[in-house]
Amino acid sequence: MKYLPLIWSGIWRKPGRTILIFLQVGVAFALFGVLQGLKTGVEQAVAAARADLLIVHSRLSYLAEPLPLGLLDRIKSVAGVKLVIPVDIFVANYQKPTQQLVVVALSPDEDWESAFTYTIAPEYLAAFRKTRTATLIRLEPAEKYGWKIGDHLPLKSATAQRNGSTDWAFDVMGTFSDSDIGGARDIILINLAYLDEARLAGKGTVQHFNVAVSDPKLAVTVADEIDGLFANSAHETKTESLRELAQLNLQSIGDLNFLIRAIVGAVLVALLFATATMMMQSLRERTPEFAIIKTLGFTDGAVFLIVLAEALALCIAAAAFGLALAALAFPFAARFVPGLSMPIVVVEVGLACAVLVALISAAVPAVMAARLQVVSALAQR
Amino acid sequence: MNFTRQFLGILRVSLSGVTQRLGSVLTIIIGVACAVGVLVSMLAMGTGARREEMGDVHADGVVVTSIGARGVQSSIPKDQAATVRELPGIIKGSDGAPIVEFQSLVPIEARRRVTDTRVFFPLVGTTPSFTQYRPEIRITRGRTFQSGLHELIASNACARQFTGFEIGDRRSIRGIDWTIVGHFDQGRSQQCVIYTDVDTIMSAFVRNTYTLVTARLQSPSDYNAFSSAIAANPTLRLEVERESEALERSFKPLNGILNFASYFVGTIMAIGATLGAMNSLYAIVDTRRRELATLQAIGFGSGPVVASILCESLLLALPGALLGCVLAWALFSGLSVSPFGYNFQLEVTPALAILGVVWALGMGLLGGLLPALRAARVPVTTALRAT
Repeated sequence: MKYLPLIWSGIWRKPGRTILIFLQVGVAFALFGVLQGLKTGVEQAVAAARADLLIVHSRLSYLAEPLPLGLLDRIKSVAGVKLVIPVDIFVANYQKPTQQLVVVALSPDEDWESAFTYTIAPEYLAAFRKTRTATLIRLEPAEKYGWKIGDHLPLKSATAQRNGSTDWAFDVMGTFSDSDIGGARDIILINLAYLDEARLAGKGTVQHFNVAVSDPKLAVTVADEIDGLFANSAHETKTESLRELAQLNLQSIGDLNFLIRAIVGAVLVALLFATATMMMQSLRERTPEFAIIKTLGFTDGAVFLIVLAEALALCIAAAAFGLALAALAFPFAARFVPGLSMPIVVVEVGLACAVLVALISAAVPAVMAARLQVVSALAQR
Repeated sequence: MNFTRQFLGILRVSLSGVTQRLGSVLTIIIGVACAVGVLVSMLAMGTGARREEMGDVHADGVVVTSIGARGVQSSIPKDQAATVRELPGIIKGSDGAPIVEFQSLVPIEARRRVTDTRVFFPLVGTTPSFTQYRPEIRITRGRTFQSGLHELIASNACARQFTGFEIGDRRSIRGIDWTIVGHFDQGRSQQCVIYTDVDTIMSAFVRNTYTLVTARLQSPSDYNAFSSAIAANPTLRLEVERESEALERSFKPLNGILNFASYFVGTIMAIGATLGAMNSLYAIVDTRRRELATLQAIGFGSGPVVASILCESLLLALPGALLGCVLAWALFSGLSVSPFGYNFQLEVTPALAILGVVWALGMGLLGGLLPALRAARVPVTTALRAT
């Protein structure tokens, strides 16, 4: 404890240099935080995605090829399938073509929400089931466009109604939140029965089926069995879990892993060099001062610890500052992956790296300070 | 004259002392090298992607889609496609027929050889005469597809990276077996594309509309005439754009991400390197305080002092920049990446190297400015008294 004032004054011996080093370490760790945060965030999101929720879609494509609604009963017959919900998806725009919404049409059967990643209040669920033209809107677009419950929502879409009109309208019955990562942000839910009856083309087809399995361990077997049912038919299916789909969607970032590693490596190497040089420089300038405190009775070990402590305090504080900056800048950098947040483990790893940088760069100066011969050091003056 | 002589004198002394201040000097060089290396390699992705997307663009090519539906949602009825074929301005091929290509796009799944991850890329149904539109396509092995038979040809880039595209390989699409019968090169592009006959794929998918129609015009200046001919015909609910515009639009998201990432990371690293250089130069100026004060005491002006220290900073940033460029080139140039479903090679060009050097000089200048001013401002008497 008694060393604290000594360490503190050592750090502030040259305020200009300390501030520059502080900023440099801070900037390096801000970059580290953002890049590593993206990488780890994506990996965590994939790992957290539900493996027990299966999506049955056309083998040809996730979106472009519709499947007939009639497959529903055969999928239901597979052992281990708890619930099958047909889902159709189309794009509509609100007021102007740039304000696009993804409209998800589904059958609100009993317990349907367990086959989705949505969180919905019970009263909204009930209202949604009762009204044919009901829609539930995700919180993000609701906030963005200021929609309220009870609003009448006019939309335009390339999907035409029976009378040829491309205008659609739905009644807002509630809101929901979605824990899925990397998907569309502006989603609204509607009743599939209403859509299928009202639309001109594509009647009786859906994009995919959401399947909830009774036991997560069965997911792979169930998926294989469903695909086996339709093998070599005109509608071959591909069944994958939400986790596999997340992997597919987000693997693009994974492709950049090597680059992220290279950048983080370059940042840390450059930083290590800068801090090590500064520590040496500082030691050279302060050789007489260390000689004096040794004369006053400080042991070699104490001097060693003081030098290390200065480096540690500076690096950890700067890294904490940098990682805080990274957390602030993260939504800005991660805007290409909606819903991603900075994982806490990155902060821990970052601080550990800061300790490492401090120890490595201060090791040589600390040893030199500890071994300092008082007489020869003072003689240099 | 006097200024130049003083400036050169101080600079020579500074540079001769480089070896004594190796630590500080190396900090500047390595800091700048890392910042420039990272910036250049990130931007190399952008140039690589750009070369990829624009390498084989046909200046006289146009793409026709149905109104308001660009990309895969487009659908063009056969009669409208036939009308487009007869529009004015389209160049005639060697057989006297207009160079027009009808396309139907279907996504096809493939698995990467190395990682076994799954990707989708387009299976393009096209007219058998499509090589007239795309003369850059050269069959390197096997033969081209025949209409009516279920045959596919794959780009070499595709066969190299993904399993199941060797000649003779079969894959089931719509419950029908399709055979790979040829491999082709497509100019500069490294994209994965599979071609097949448009009518065959449309009958397999029970489709009766094309996805898009492409045509080569007599010259790029015929574009306006062609597009007004489409607009003037009431039976055509179609719109047209230049091939270059269509490509530009489809690559916009990728370019946006790459540019943002490059400059975001590049700027942060440059700030770090500038701070490092500033710190090192402060240290250098500090250790030379007495020497610089002596010079001023014997009549050197402060102008040459400032200029020479700035110049030293620039001269130290320069080898850093070169080192960074060389590292980026050696480590990453020619490396294939496929982020966000695109596929291209990083390319470190001279233009990027120059940008890197300019960037480095900026770091040197900013980093050197404050230390140089401080060196000139220290009162001579104080400096001479210092240890």
